[in-house]
Amino acid sequence: MRFTPTELTEEELELQQQVRDFLLEELPPGSHEPCLGMAARKDKDFSLKMADRGWVGMALPKDWGGSDRTAVDRFIVVEEMLRWGAPVGHHWVADRQTGNVILKFGTQEQRERFLPAICRGELGFSIGMSEPDSGSDLASVSTKAEETTGGWIINGTKIWTSGAHENDWFVCLLRTSPMEDGNKHAGLSQFLIDLKSPGLEISPIPFLDGSHHFNEVTFNEVFVPETNVVGDLGMGWHQNTTEMAYERGGPDRWLSPFSTVEQLLREARGTDLEATVADLFGELTARWWGIRNLSLSVARLIDTGEAPSVESSLVKEMGTRFEQEVIEKLVHLIDLEYSPESESLFERLLAQCVVTFPGNTIRGGTIEILRSVASKGLKGLPA
Amino acid sequence: MSEISEVDPLITETADRLFSQICDHESVQNAEVTGEATEIWKAFAETGFPWISISEEFGGSGGTLLDALEVLRLVGYHAAPIPAAETGILGGWLLSSSGQQLPEGVVTVLPSGSENLLVARTGDRLTLTGRGLRVPWARTAEIIVVPVEVDDQTFVASVQPGDCQITPMTNMAGEPRDTVDFNEVEAFAAPVPSDVNLRSFRFRGALSRTALMAGAIEKMSQLTVSYTNDRVQFGRPVAKFQAVQQHLVWGAQDAALARMAAESAAREANRGSGAFEIAAAKLIANQAAARATKACHQAHGAMGMTQEYPLHHLSRRLWSWRKEYGGDAEWSEWLGRIAISQGADGLYPLITGGSGVLR
Repeated sequence: MRFTPTELTEEELELQQQVRDFLLEELPPGSHEPCLGMAARKDKDFSLKMADRGWVGMALPKDWGGSDRTAVDRFIVVEEMLRWGAPVGHHWVADRQTGNVILKFGTQEQRERFLPAICRGELGFSIGMSEPDSGSDLASVSTKAEETTGGWIINGTKIWTSGAHENDWFVCLLRTSPMEDGNKHAGLSQFLIDLKSPGLEISPIPFLDGSHHFNEVTFNEVFVPETNVVGDLGMGWHQNTTEMAYERGGPDRWLSPFSTVEQLLREARGTDLEATVADLFGELTARWWGIRNLSLSVARLIDTGEAPSVESSLVKEMGTRFEQEVIEKLVHLIDLEYSPESESLFERLLAQCVVTFPGNTIRGGTIEILRSVASKGLKGLPA
Repeated sequence: MSEISEVDPLITETADRLFSQICDHESVQNAEVTGEATEIWKAFAETGFPWISISEEFGGSGGTLLDALEVLRLVGYHAAPIPAAETGILGGWLLSSSGQQLPEGVVTVLPSGSENLLVARTGDRLTLTGRGLRVPWARTAEIIVVPVEVDDQTFVASVQPGDCQITPMTNMAGEPRDTVDFNEVEAFAAPVPSDVNLRSFRFRGALSRTALMAGAIEKMSQLTVSYTNDRVQFGRPVAKFQAVQQHLVWGAQDAALARMAAESAAREANRGSGAFEIAAAKLIANQAAARATKACHQAHGAMGMTQEYPLHHLSRRLWSWRKEYGGDAEWSEWLGRIAISQGADGLYPLITGGSGVLR
């Protein structure tokens, strides 16, 4: 394990400036309600505008509508979007992972069909992993795909499916052959499923504050054509693990509270913050600087062709706990009674963070699972 | 000046090999009892490592600050009980900046913030009266370097230890941190360029500690992974237990975070700036040390609380270094004022741009 310090090149700094200029133009501070990280509003128009600049699916090859940019370039765009609280929800999943999965494992036909549309910012994807009886123990997935003429028939239920009610497609991990003794990772395959398929039902699982992100997706004899299998049959676990490396360790795991902190600074203008909360800002600034450097070095490592799964698990575990710590520090220091209906934007954001951030150390792999992944990787290092 | 931003890999390899050979549990323990590590220092000095980044013109070994800090990281990693920072990038830097030749042996320097001195100047002579606290290895130093501000100018005085009264004291790790009393001590002093002053000395001291601390935290983390994979309880290595894995992961994270911070600060400092990065790195190292010592001790159980097991060489150094050249409060306050002064729109550009934004 080695995180090597890296710096942005002149070209990369130029990209950073372009993104900042774009955001200043599109979403001037004060003109929009900032989102809290990747749990951002879906705003297809905004996604289309980003795609116009070549900033959606940008690391995908030009042949497939991408821009052949690096993981670091994507890091820069994502980082600026998230710290600005931009509404990146529509293209988020496709940009972060689905595009990569289809490029890496998909058929030629799937690439042609999906990648250019992803890069145009058109398609929204959901991810189908968890089930009522399969949470962290993902290998126990039991939603079944059974072979039929020209395709597969699917029966079962997926849960915690973010955005299924608004998205177009569903990348689903399904059981294509029964569980084997001794090899619990075998028999799983990945499918691309149209969320409008007959027999597919989507019903909300209201979030704790009543908002609608999660869904239960029920398959009742849903037909999926054979051309929608992603990669090799039975290789779903391996593909899924690869996908996770893209999902972990990026700016989405440590920037969620940034717009709240920034807004505190904006609203407190004129008060003597230096005298009261200097040490808080000092600590947050240092930690963000440090974690960002680690996260950036993971992106640089990906660009050298490595799959730094231990490194990205370490960063994600640390980053998501840091996000919660930021909010706890604000709550501790700021003597206000805030609510989601406060007049002050800072207070509204803080209330939203308090209520939703317990999920940050759960989504995309709980920190307990991440620790298990990371500590296995730590073993065998020199002592 | 050409910009060298990479550590010479030969430095890492040679220093690591040297310390692996000469700096084991017994020799570090022994240094704590006797207050010196003559053999370790001798082997270290023979390589010229103590004087990296100091110009050959003044008796140094040449090379970059980046290389010097890499050596310090390995000094911390191996808990080497020697005044490497004081002789080189602190004392040696002050001497050479004021045009003075370095002696052949150990140099120490009065840490900023520890002194309470009355200073009088007559030409190139200073008369010092007062007391300096927590002076590393003063008892074995050939020269005690004292940076002072007098007549609106920073001077570097070279004090002969024999002219002072030195009372042996130690820090929490048992490293020499002596009390030095100056009773109208006369010393030669020379002025330094304006970028060398008490403030930049404080930052440089903090930078030296971040490198030492990054090394020590990394070693501590590795020791913990190895111990918990060997130690069997309930029929399996304790590293297999989720509750223990938490400590391993937290230790490894803080090792990575502190090293990243130290190396990023070293790069900026090597370019001649880096105030933001140094402050952030020292604060990060301080807090990482606090978390990692807790996690690593917990994972070691009672064994880590004994003198016979080497964890304490690292943890006690970290607790000491955390407080040297600025504790958490000093650096968080300094950084916070800068962060707040950037305003809402400037906060993120500061995090990404660092000292580059402040210039």
